[in-house]
Amino acid sequence: MLKQISVFVENEVGSLGRVTGVLRREGINLRAIASYDTPEFGILRMVVDAPEQCKEVLTREGFVVKISEVLAVELVDRPGELDRVLHVIADAELTVNYIYSFVIRNEKSPLMVMHLDDMEKADRILKESGIAVID
Amino acid sequence: MIWAKEETLSRREIEEIQLAKLKATVARVYEKVPAYRAKMDEIGMKPEHVQSLADLKKLPFTVKKDFRDNYPFGLFAVPKEELVRIHASSGTTGKPTVVGYTRNDMKMWTENVTRIAVMGGATEKDVAQICFGYGMFTGALGLHFGLENLGATVCPTSSGNTQKQLMYMKDFGTTLLVATPSYALHIGEVAKEMGIDPKKDLKVKIGLFGGEGMTEPMRQEMYKLWGEDMKVTQNYGMSELIGPGVSGECLELCGMHVNEDHFIPEIIDPVTGEVLPPGEKGELVITCLSKEALPVIRYRTKDISRLMYEPCKCGRTTVRMENLSGRSDDMLIIRGVNVFPTQIEEVLLGVPEIGPHYEIIVDRKNHLDTMEIKVEFTDDTLLDSYAKLGALEKSIKSRLKVVLGLDAAIKLVAPRSLQRFEGKAKRVTDLRNM
Ligand SMILES: [Zn+2]
Repeated sequence: MLKQISVFVENEVGSLGRVTGVLRREGINLRAIASYDTPEFGILRMVVDAPEQCKEVLTREGFVVKISEVLAVELVDRPGELDRVLHVIADAELTVNYIYSFVIRNEKSPLMVMHLDDMEKADRILKESGIAVID
Repeated sequence: MIWAKEETLSRREIEEIQLAKLKATVARVYEKVPAYRAKMDEIGMKPEHVQSLADLKKLPFTVKKDFRDNYPFGLFAVPKEELVRIHASSGTTGKPTVVGYTRNDMKMWTENVTRIAVMGGATEKDVAQICFGYGMFTGALGLHFGLENLGATVCPTSSGNTQKQLMYMKDFGTTLLVATPSYALHIGEVAKEMGIDPKKDLKVKIGLFGGEGMTEPMRQEMYKLWGEDMKVTQNYGMSELIGPGVSGECLELCGMHVNEDHFIPEIIDPVTGEVLPPGEKGELVITCLSKEALPVIRYRTKDISRLMYEPCKCGRTTVRMENLSGRSDDMLIIRGVNVFPTQIEEVLLGVPEIGPHYEIIVDRKNHLDTMEIKVEFTDDTLLDSYAKLGALEKSIKSRLKVVLGLDAAIKLVAPRSLQRFEGKAKRVTDLRNM
């Protein structure tokens, strides 16, 4: 499984930029990022190349940060591939809490980041169905 | 330890002292201060009408406005030449309140502060760092003289420049901290940011807090930051009365002992002005019995408290005033409901997922009062889902509703994003009259 960083951000001008600014300054690479709108605040979710360091620097800057585990699934770049993965999950009666994708993969196959209600089971089921899960 | 024998007198002995001093003070102000004489004449009251302590309630009140109307020295009972010190408190509106001290006043003030420092656990061995702002404000120099009188080592670091404060605290081995409770919490936070753990890396074991009220949850917060074994007390006073030294908490933490041989407290109904029986909550009124330069009769403090005459486990027999539960001035009326910011604070400090700082914004939208409360979100375990964050907002809302009977909007903001205050915290912004 992959380590994901969740950061509490206020929904106001420049708040996402403050997070990415810290990462740039510290030379931490952003692999995947997702944020959803609520009127008041948001949880920014990211996959970075140095999660522990990322948590440390952001915490020092006054952000509330949590590291949690997510599944990263490698998709073959052809139509219906994500659909296949989601059907495997649905058939196993698992719930996807959220899903987002990697930013740039330098000509590699697309990666989807997923958080599910039962991560262990999802990991096992996906692997059993021949889907490439990144460890 | 108890500093003065006057703190352990019987009720009869205390009242004898009070009556003799009250008679003398009333006679003096009637003779020397035209403003007092005019007020007494208006209701046909003469000094000789004060024959018992029960007659006190017949005397007119003194209010803040009297100080402003008689700016700067109109209420003084001695010629200016006899003053050895002048202080002033700058109100947010109008002229400052000017107060003065004769040499005897200084001695009396200093003794009162020493008593309070001792109540809070101070000894001559302490290294006391005074983080109140020096200058015209009475707080800093009041504590300064009182602690020096005790024999403690006084470091007048004043307020501000928190990093430097911490450097001195560490290098001097400060054992006693004097500050407003909000500034003490701020110093603790800054220490942590600097990688200093106040519990282990500093020697501060006594906190004498004042300048603003300290709620119980704030005290708990203080233990968390500075260590469970810290002696955390607060004391009370205001420049119009003398400065700090009117009353202070002993280590039993059951209210603040009033130095009754120098001050008589009363509790009144803030609306009718009627004196309330012991134990009832209302506005605190104080009469100063020993001041030469600026005797003050029945000063309306606007602070809400109640008086407890039961003897205290600490051995002192002086009356205790309950820790303040707000100011009659700070009271907000929101949709017709009386709200004290301290009530909100008590609720918020009981929520572990948020920090101790908050901001209340009152506004009016479509002719309806609205209240928004900003709190700093600090608990990373809730970052799993929006549902958890939403549930936190909802739980704060419903706790407030139980206490206030009002709906408030809760806004979670990032840690350390709300303004910090080094003096009196300004937590309320009322946009309704702007
Ligand atoms: Zn006591």
